[in-house]
Amino acid sequence: MIWLPLYGLFYAMVTLYWARIAAQQNGDYQTFFSTAHSLAPWVSALVLAGASLSGWAIFGGADEIAQRGFGLSAMLQAGIVLALPGVLFFKRLWFVGQRLQLSSQAEMLRMYYGSEFLVVFSTIVAVLFAVAFAGLQLHALSGVVQALSGGAVTAAVAGVGLGLLLFGYVVIGGMRAVGYLGAMQAVLAAAALVGFAGFALIDIGGFGALNAGLAGLASDPAQGGRFMVAGVIQFTEGLGRPTGAVSSSTAVASLSFAFALMGFQASPLAAKIVLSTRSARGFAAGQTWVMAGVFGGLVSVAMACLGAAALVRPGLSVGGLLASVSPWFAAWLFIGALAGVQLMAGLGLLTAGEALVRHIYKPWFHSALDRKATVTVTRVVIGLLVLVSVGMQILTPVTLSVLGALALPLTFQLWTPLLGMTWLRWITPPAAVTGIGFGIAGVLLTEPFGFAVLSFLGLDLPWGRWPWTIHSAAWGMAANMAAVLLISAFTQRRGFGADATEARRFLADTLRTSPRAKALSATAWAVMLAWGFLAIGPGLVFGNAAFVGMDGRWLVGMPSLWAWGLLFWALGLGLIWFLSYKMEMASPVDTGFPAYTPPPRLRRDQRTAEAERLRVLVLTGAVAFSLIVLTALSFGG
Amino acid sequence: MPTSQHIERGILVFTIWASLGFLGLGIVLEGFARDSWPLSACGVGVIVLAFVAHIIVNGVCDTGFTQGEALLGIGTYGFLGLVFIASALFGDISMPDLYSGLTLFGMLAAGFLAYLATRHGLRGAFSRFHMKGDDMSFGAGRRP
Repeated sequence: MIWLPLYGLFYAMVTLYWARIAAQQNGDYQTFFSTAHSLAPWVSALVLAGASLSGWAIFGGADEIAQRGFGLSAMLQAGIVLALPGVLFFKRLWFVGQRLQLSSQAEMLRMYYGSEFLVVFSTIVAVLFAVAFAGLQLHALSGVVQALSGGAVTAAVAGVGLGLLLFGYVVIGGMRAVGYLGAMQAVLAAAALVGFAGFALIDIGGFGALNAGLAGLASDPAQGGRFMVAGVIQFTEGLGRPTGAVSSSTAVASLSFAFALMGFQASPLAAKIVLSTRSARGFAAGQTWVMAGVFGGLVSVAMACLGAAALVRPGLSVGGLLASVSPWFAAWLFIGALAGVQLMAGLGLLTAGEALVRHIYKPWFHSALDRKATVTVTRVVIGLLVLVSVGMQILTPVTLSVLGALALPLTFQLWTPLLGMTWLRWITPPAAVTGIGFGIAGVLLTEPFGFAVLSFLGLDLPWGRWPWTIHSAAWGMAANMAAVLLISAFTQRRGFGADATEARRFLADTLRTSPRAKALSATAWAVMLAWGFLAIGPGLVFGNAAFVGMDGRWLVGMPSLWAWGLLFWALGLGLIWFLSYKMEMASPVDTGFPAYTPPPRLRRDQRTAEAERLRVLVLTGAVAFSLIVLTALSFGG
Repeated sequence: MPTSQHIERGILVFTIWASLGFLGLGIVLEGFARDSWPLSACGVGVIVLAFVAHIIVNGVCDTGFTQGEALLGIGTYGFLGLVFIASALFGDISMPDLYSGLTLFGMLAAGFLAYLATRHGLRGAFSRFHMKGDDMSFGAGRRP
């Protein structure tokens, strides 16, 4: 098969060509991290949408429908739930970033809350995305390469090759390369998703034949559950327990899964793109028409078609389709899927590398590091992250999967500090920090990673993964919000630092809501809650029978839940438009403002303290390692 | 060093050809493989669509094809044209494949001439090829 290597070579050439252009624009290292805040709004919109869906739509979403049907119906609303946080946060974050000259989420959290814990948490989330979440998708791609080459290229070799390419363009071109290539990769990934769906439909005989096959499945009592939401909630112990969930297709499973998806746009990866954008003018259009409209439509239609085709005929899975179409199409589709995965992986690597070096290593251990050396160390760290990710793909895929599952629910916990920064001014720094701590606990105690750690220490929790069919993202947020509400109530007298006070004053003055938008706020709340209830919440149970006739036949020729999902995708698009433009949450603002100049502060010589911290870090690491080895020997791992 | 407008135009052009161009190429090849002229014609249609999209991007950015793009396009066209003529003369080529090839090359040639005529006018289009002295600015940069 010559086409895959040929297209792969072309893709690699294009990638390195744009990395070179980006490096020239960067002056090698001057604007490596932030593109000098010069990304065009349309480029940012495409990168945000592409990174949000990455390879997930092709590999994860379609596979979920193929395995379990339409029960997890909120998945069809992925475009809308991914756009919602963008509408809420991006414009305000961008204004704060521009005013205070910040270029990453970790910097914003440090500036506003003055908390190193939040900085470390944001960094961990970025590392999880870069190494585990993207690693899982790259692992799936490596498997596809092995299958397509008939075993001539092993998954391990493919993983190393894909990792090297990723490493190459990220370390050469930095954020600019990620942005420039990201726009192309987003379109390629979207085209590939359409292509996959198209080939699946052609193979199965068209949309009518697909739905005839689905109707045949639905008429089988053993399969009928795949076209139904299994009630609002099931009070079971969770997956992996003897009396665990019978089905994970309840309405609250959908709602809490939607929460997990909402995490991505609150992640340090999304913030990195937002803060690298040269203008806030494109956020409304990007979130409304690109994310919710085009990409949301692709999820609701193309991803659903692909998954449904594989549900009817399992041979029409992604791997099966790639093996059955002509080699030139297989190569084109593969490159599209690869582009989607590399978009998210590249962004994750850059964000994680920057966070580890600029926001942790440099301020704590080596503040004398100049800009050039910082970029060099970041390049080395990115190389190490790629090495870890590829190593885990090859050697420990199960651990990779366990870690990857933490990325979205953990990043969703960042909603509370971001809400505090942008809208809810009553959230105090102690509340935000404690909330995140509780949120982390809530997530870890309902995910396999937490079980594995506790089991290692000889503790066995009485519940499994996602008890009561509620995703860990929601368990974490319940704990997070409870802590935030309580602690905010008790710590209202605590003040904010000078920079945070300036950010609060600036937002209040510059982005004051107009009287017209204020008058519409009750309508906005009502519409949003109604949409949430019916599209992703308990109201999903109405979708079971909404488009089913008295004789039990589907009224619109497709599964009722799918039709329900399409209807609410269209209504959700209207909702996003309403919030973005009419409620002015993401609408363009024509205002110029100077960057804030903080009062001059005397910088002390940190070298002694930094050397001491480094010594403590090494000692702590050694002690921790010894304790882990000792515990493993005592309890048997 | 390229300006940000040049870069953004470049991103759009690469995106168009990587998605539409390669899809069109795939459909043309599928038509050849199946001896199906309608399929090849669809592929040609997609390639022409990519070409039109490229011209629209040029129009939005108020520029023409760059020298590199013109060279790559004409070079690829010439090379593939030669391969096709050689196959037609010396190879065993079916009638649908022959028509498919003629459609592809004919449409691209007609499209290119139409582009020149609409952009520079009939007389101006001829002048693009009739270069003399220091008037060697074929396909370069901005509109006058």
